[in-house]
Amino acid sequence: MLDTTTQPPSVGLSMVPHYAGWIGRTARSGLYRHTIGLLVESRRVRLAVLAGVPLVWIAMLHIGPILQMANISLLANYPPQPDKSSEYTLANYALFFSDRLYFLPFVRSLIFAAVVTISTLVIVYPVAYYVAKVVQPKNRMRALLLLLIPFWAGELIRTFSVIMLLANRGALNVLLREFGFIDRPIPMLYTFFSLSFGVIYLLALYMLLPLYSAIEKIPTPLIHAAADLGAGPLQRFRRVILPLSKDGIVSGCSLVYLTAVGVFAAPLLLGGPNAVIFPEVIATLFHGSNDKWPEGAAFSMIMLVVSLTTVGLFMRVVGGRSVRLM
Amino acid sequence: MRNYFNDLPKSALGASYWIFAVYLVLPLALMTAMSFKDANFIAFPIGNWTLSWYSKVVQDKQFLEASLYSIGIALATTVSATIIGVWIALLVSAENIWGKAVIFALACLPAVVPGLINAISMRIFIRAVDIPTGTFAIILAHTVHAVPFVVIMVLTRLRSMPANLVDAARDLGADPFIAFLRVTIPYLMPALFGGMIFCVLTSIDDFVRTFFLGGYQPTLPMLIFAKVQGGMSPEINAMATIVLVVTTAIGLYAEHFTRRSRS
Repeated sequence: MLDTTTQPPSVGLSMVPHYAGWIGRTARSGLYRHTIGLLVESRRVRLAVLAGVPLVWIAMLHIGPILQMANISLLANYPPQPDKSSEYTLANYALFFSDRLYFLPFVRSLIFAAVVTISTLVIVYPVAYYVAKVVQPKNRMRALLLLLIPFWAGELIRTFSVIMLLANRGALNVLLREFGFIDRPIPMLYTFFSLSFGVIYLLALYMLLPLYSAIEKIPTPLIHAAADLGAGPLQRFRRVILPLSKDGIVSGCSLVYLTAVGVFAAPLLLGGPNAVIFPEVIATLFHGSNDKWPEGAAFSMIMLVVSLTTVGLFMRVVGGRSVRLM
Repeated sequence: MRNYFNDLPKSALGASYWIFAVYLVLPLALMTAMSFKDANFIAFPIGNWTLSWYSKVVQDKQFLEASLYSIGIALATTVSATIIGVWIALLVSAENIWGKAVIFALACLPAVVPGLINAISMRIFIRAVDIPTGTFAIILAHTVHAVPFVVIMVLTRLRSMPANLVDAARDLGADPFIAFLRVTIPYLMPALFGGMIFCVLTSIDDFVRTFFLGGYQPTLPMLIFAKVQGGMSPEINAMATIVLVVTTAIGLYAEHFTRRSRS
């Protein structure tokens, strides 16, 4: 425990308070006192302790992998082989633009992500508004929680539950047949429909939370004032609510778009042969017998740069003031 | 008449909420219900109820091993991501550090890089530095993914911390490390707890990183993926329901905890 009665307001290291337990034992040990002495006396040591590990971590594991990927994407051969050249080349990038087999899935992926983002925004906006503004404050948390529970289930489990709903022998088809609407099951699974249905299901949360927190911050008196001045519901929405929730829209859309571009497990399970999107193409270059790392790295770089630029441009054009991740 | 028109948007909003809630809950409810059905196919009504799928899953050695493996990875990820994340947050929140904004932006980088690219770049990286695929590589990749979120949560909390708390501890004779341990850490506890839950849930849920970095031992998502690829079966329903219940319990508990500590 801290014994403060015998101490002057400011003490040096010679007078260490007594601590109970393991902290006290450590604090009294010579090695600890010596180390901490260095820390207290020198600003440089303090800075090194504070900055060392974080900077090394960020440089090695946040930037390093991407630089290494950029490096390999420019190599003619990787891993280096004795009988082949290992020069730098742009051929891997050229391959992407010359082969429709690679180019088309990429375009499809971008369009798919954009469609998913816009649909999610349209679906989730009224829901977020309802929870933030219409529900009574005391019930708000409960209303939000009901929507959060499915998202704790995890990506694969939710994907699987979508399969159960949409498969040929899945719940929807079984029900439709039992009521006599159809004779033969409607093939819903392994199409773009099932893929979008599933991916929206997976990502709606990333839209819901930013939108909710942005809409909740809009002062309700502003909306009432607009109504008193004669603005109808549509006008209130367009002139007051929408501009004030712009931050939430921007961060929600960015998050959903970036995740939808790189979504991986869901297309493998929900998409069919007609819905091959870019992540699958990249993955096959790294796995299996055709080990084409340089091409795969180049394609990944293209995807990374294009998706980040798209989001950057979007932010600049729509002009959200600050984009928060959480 | 006027009232009617004013209420119309309100009830439309309510309807959109409930339709959305059904959309979210229905597939999972369906999955849970079918895990109790005494038949191999989907049909209504359920008819004969059974727990046999559950007893099958609980005795499934593969499932138990994968669960333990996933939990181990999640715990290791949580510990390392929390330590690194707090460290980075302290650095970013410190005064007189040059290039703070850049450090913060780079610390958040893995959060904006699409998951697939993240996984591929890590795969390339571990080959370059000669780390084999397997447990360590998975933990490393999961930690890289979790760190930005820990940093953001801890930083938000740190910004609300009165600076004179640490000063007071220092004046009373605590050295910087003890002041950190006994003043800063307790203050950060709610953020740390939230961050840890986030780490556990994202690590247990991760598929794409494990897919590229994993060895031969399957994690829980890998196992479920393999089974789902094999087709629908009530056994997967039971397995997924167990995982669903456990993760939801963790999530609800975390929600409860953070709400209590906030008030």
